Amino acid sequence: MEDFIYISDSEEDFMSDRDSVGNDDVEDDDSLESDIKWTATASSTKVITRESLLVAQREDLRRVMELLNLSEQHARTLLIYHRWDVEKVFAVFVEKGKDELFAEAGITEKNCMIKHAPAAMTCEVCMEDIPKHKATTMDCGHCFCDNCWTEHFIVKINEGQSRRITCMAFKCTAICDEAIVRNLVSARDADLAERFERFLLESYIEDNQRVKWCPSVPHCGNAIRVEDEKFCEVECTCGVQFCFSCSSEAHSPCSCLMWELWVKKCRDESETVNWITVNTKSCPKCHKNVEKNGGCNLVSCICGQAFCWLCGGATGRDHTWTSIAGHSCGRFKDDQEAQAERAKRDLYRYMHYHNRYKAHTDSFKLESKLKETIQSQISTLEDQESDFKDFSWLTNGLNRLFRSRRVLSYSYPFAFYMFGEDLFGDEMTPAEREIKQNLFEDQQQQLEVNVEKLSKVLEERYDLLDDDKLKQLRMELINLSVIIDTLCKSMYECIENDLLGSLQLATHRIAAYKSKGVERASELHVWSTKESSSISCLQTDSSISATVGGTVEVGRSSSSSPDFESGCPSRKRAKREALGNALFDLNLPAEVIDKS
Amino acid sequence: MQASRARLFKEYKEVQREKVADPDIQLVCDDTNIFKWTALVKGPSETPYEGGVFQLAFAVPEQYPLQPPQVRFLTKIFHPNVHFKTGEICLDILKTAWSPAWTLQSVCRAIIALMAHPEADSPLNCDSGNLLRSGDLRGYQSMARMYTKLAAMPKKG
Repeated sequence: MEDFIYISDSEEDFMSDRDSVGNDDVEDDDSLESDIKWTATASSTKVITRESLLVAQREDLRRVMELLNLSEQHARTLLIYHRWDVEKVFAVFVEKGKDELFAEAGITEKNCMIKHAPAAMTCEVCMEDIPKHKATTMDCGHCFCDNCWTEHFIVKINEGQSRRITCMAFKCTAICDEAIVRNLVSARDADLAERFERFLLESYIEDNQRVKWCPSVPHCGNAIRVEDEKFCEVECTCGVQFCFSCSSEAHSPCSCLMWELWVKKCRDESETVNWITVNTKSCPKCHKNVEKNGGCNLVSCICGQAFCWLCGGATGRDHTWTSIAGHSCGRFKDDQEAQAERAKRDLYRYMHYHNRYKAHTDSFKLESKLKETIQSQISTLEDQESDFKDFSWLTNGLNRLFRSRRVLSYSYPFAFYMFGEDLFGDEMTPAEREIKQNLFEDQQQQLEVNVEKLSKVLEERYDLLDDDKLKQLRMELINLSVIIDTLCKSMYECIENDLLGSLQLATHRIAAYKSKGVERASELHVWSTKESSSISCLQTDSSISATVGGTVEVGRSSSSSPDFESGCPSRKRAKREALGNALFDLNLPAEVIDKS
Repeated sequence: MQASRARLFKEYKEVQREKVADPDIQLVCDDTNIFKWTALVKGPSETPYEGGVFQLAFAVPEQYPLQPPQVRFLTKIFHPNVHFKTGEICLDILKTAWSPAWTLQSVCRAIIALMAHPEADSPLNCDSGNLLRSGDLRGYQSMARMYTKLAAMPKKG
């Protein structure tokens, strides 16, 4: 039954792909080249590059400009103030009216009241008498000399305030005219004027909830925009995969908070330090850490120094069970023992989860090498005379392994926090916790078993096998892939609904399970622009691809991702097959594939 | 750099001219450094600071007047918006609401206004702020008066 549901999902995917042929070809081909994508889907995340930054904000600007009949710079001021939330701007407009909307954001429309100043005026900032032509009046009506304005702009730009440079007059919140800033500053310092421009443009990224910089190091210069769901994982065109919500590596099914805590914990090995401080004392002579393994409170270090376990002070060796000759520190010790017990238990618990987390991460790294092995095997197989022509089931199985391995390794830090007392100590009674833990661990175990099976199947030397054996392995691989995908899905469902969903006090949200791996952000469409030359260049590029859309050549003609071209030729072959056969997903059972 | 110097020089001349006009404020520039100023301000009448003379120190940044001067009390004062130990002043026009159109003279006026109207909700001196916020006006006034007498009035004899 579950299989059936899965199939129908994928068929829908095909349909949407078919519909969009001709428009999305550029991205689709890129994503086919990518390692973890099996089929191409219209992505809800978009990459914003240095070149498309202007285009990306144009739509938002245009909507505001049209509705409120505004100039671009005023629309920008409004949007910056409302963090690029167009709906919010409209809501405030409807609720409070135009005047308040403008006043809040610091927009003043041309003030007709500007009195025609005499030929000379005194600038209130430098207190000099200035001829009229060397002074500038802002829309708000305040007039100062050009020199002071320029200084003011330079100070503000250097302070990182480019997006909201207010008038110099006291309590005047009006935002200075972009054009005036641009003119005055560029006359003094062209570099700074350029920085001002860039700050304005980048406001779309910095002040926008829906857009984040790609966290790649060194930085690729891209930003990612998500359309609807903020809790998601995304892959930038530079190849970096990250969690959109917290900008660290993709970590689902861990929540962002769990992942942050886990990383910190692993980094400072706090449990070990904790255990050492509670269970050992440093020798007063050689300063080695000494653990007491039994006996009375007179402890002797391997260096020969005897000391009192209770206070850590050096003593003589003459003692009885209860006292040390000439030494009395008489301390109460019950509390300490309980503390030591607790620390020990916490450490073991952490080690349990950490070991498993580490084991899967390590396997993941080892298996990355498997990719090359398998690809060379495929190219050998393709050269052989055989019934098999298509080996994408093999790469698909491999991708399924990578995907599930990740899920598995991140499920351990999740379990550590979910069933520990650090985060949810007050949320569950011990009995509830035990039930939930059993439920989760059951699923985790099933997944683990199947992932290991898959890993084993993929270790075969495929290039040495005969056709019958290949056929059998292919079935096995496809079945395992389907099972694993279903298991991953139900584990995520269990986490979202039964575990995190039932929390009363805290809210933890995770990125939804994507059967096909972390979603790859697609390039922004740049059809409707006549802006800079770089943009129109991109445009021609994509229109060429569109005309040849659907054929093998597309991937090669699109020059946007040379990195992916370097892949093994066999993968390209697989892609060709896939395109020919209308993009089938080889995680489907064999019958379905055969039909198509 | 030049701009700030020129502006301070202008202010200096202005101060000399206005000396008589505002007897509550006495603004003096350091003999050797035009970026260092001190001011003596009289505690406003009908406040616990009445009768006291408070000394303020100004450190003017090179970006002046685009950036605000740093001002602190040299005389000890018990006031919710003045740090009891350092004399640091919490006043919006000295931080975010600064405008280049302000002068040192007008800053002094703003500080006198702050002495008359303490802002108990953003205290730098929590003891003083708490007295005011809990409605113990008498407690605040007597503390403030005591410190005015101790620190801001000429010693008799």
